[in-house]
Amino acid sequence: MTEIPDLIDALVETATPVRRLRPPIVRAGLWLAFAATVLCLIAIAHGVRPDFSDRVRQPLFVLSMIGALATGILAAVASFQISLPDRSRLWTVLPLPPLALWVATIGYGCLTDWVSVDPDGVHMGEAVRCFATLLMTSVPLSIAILVMLRYAALLRPLEVSVTGGLAVAALTAFALSLFHDLDATVMILTWNLGAAALIAALGSLFGRSMLEWMARFTTLPR
Amino acid sequence: MSAERRSPIPLTIVSASTPDDPQTAGDGADWSKLMARSQYGDREAYRTLLEGVTPYIRSLASRCFKQPTDVEDAVQDVLLTIHMVRHAYDPSRPFGPWLAAIANRRIIDRLRRDTRRKAREVALSAEHETFAELSANLHAETSDEVALAQAIERLPPDQRQTIRMLKLNEMSLKEAAAVSGRSIPALKVATYRAIKSLRRMLKQQSNSP
Repeated sequence: MTEIPDLIDALVETATPVRRLRPPIVRAGLWLAFAATVLCLIAIAHGVRPDFSDRVRQPLFVLSMIGALATGILAAVASFQISLPDRSRLWTVLPLPPLALWVATIGYGCLTDWVSVDPDGVHMGEAVRCFATLLMTSVPLSIAILVMLRYAALLRPLEVSVTGGLAVAALTAFALSLFHDLDATVMILTWNLGAAALIAALGSLFGRSMLEWMARFTTLPR
Repeated sequence: MSAERRSPIPLTIVSASTPDDPQTAGDGADWSKLMARSQYGDREAYRTLLEGVTPYIRSLASRCFKQPTDVEDAVQDVLLTIHMVRHAYDPSRPFGPWLAAIANRRIIDRLRRDTRRKAREVALSAEHETFAELSANLHAETSDEVALAQAIERLPPDQRQTIRMLKLNEMSLKEAAAVSGRSIPALKVATYRAIKSLRRMLKQQSNSP
């Protein structure tokens, strides 16, 4: 066993200057700015859904969009806050109210729309493009948040990966409703809630090991 | 927001440092300043800080672990973690809760790992021994352990440090390289040489009864 004085010697020996982390709110802001850039790029490349101007007049659609966006923003803030050891765990409840609103509006939509499902309304081409948007949004956002929060692997891996996964999932769902006119109940459920649940589940299953891997991959103290 | 107040400690296994905790009340402000200077690369400040917090971490760890070696391992784990995340400390906030939160987190992780290990392993009873004679089974193991520990002590300092980091403390090559400041190939060479020397030393010992 290494003696503690030896370990302290070794640590002091390697104590190079480190760049202090910016406040968590600023770092969450940076990540959200990155997310906004990704969404803008997709909007330029793809364009918003054709019926967007009609849809924004429907309160339910607007509520659902606001719910998803607010969930994404607040989950990101929560994730960056609880990644620091001395911040309260209560931050994890921050995204819950907008999450409830978002899930409730999707649920309500399902109940009102299910009669008018048109089986031919969604064809394969749109679904594939929809999946591409899902990947284009969630992959860069997931990688960015993993890199930014890698030091949390040693501290609170589970909470950080779940809130981080929720942030990515909510923003991905927001992007999907913005760019694709998949109004059929089943598709809304599958893409919005399904994608959210899948990304959040992947986050909680692999988030811990991904954070650890990322922490090992990039040496933490510069 | 209520989150700006002092952080509650995750589990109640280890009690948090409170404002009236003698360990942090007096030194908290100093530790905070020392950590701020350490972040700029002030090695003396860093040494004073690490030496200052070690007894406090040890007191937290000794509430959870009975074996002195477990306590020391936990202290080392916490010190290494502080080293890895030292850039995440904000000097405008108190140092005590930051340290206590990290120490608790690492100690709880170790306790969980120990519990999982114990759940998988079964303690051997007398029937599992190959010979009825007690000494036939136990003496050899203890003497082997002692011989190995002595042999490690006799290694050259760099080889000894490498073996301790990689084998006894189970650090990864990358962690060991970060801590020792040596390159990964150098560590691999040192491990190879150390194991070769240990093998030679132990062989000599067993040949000369």
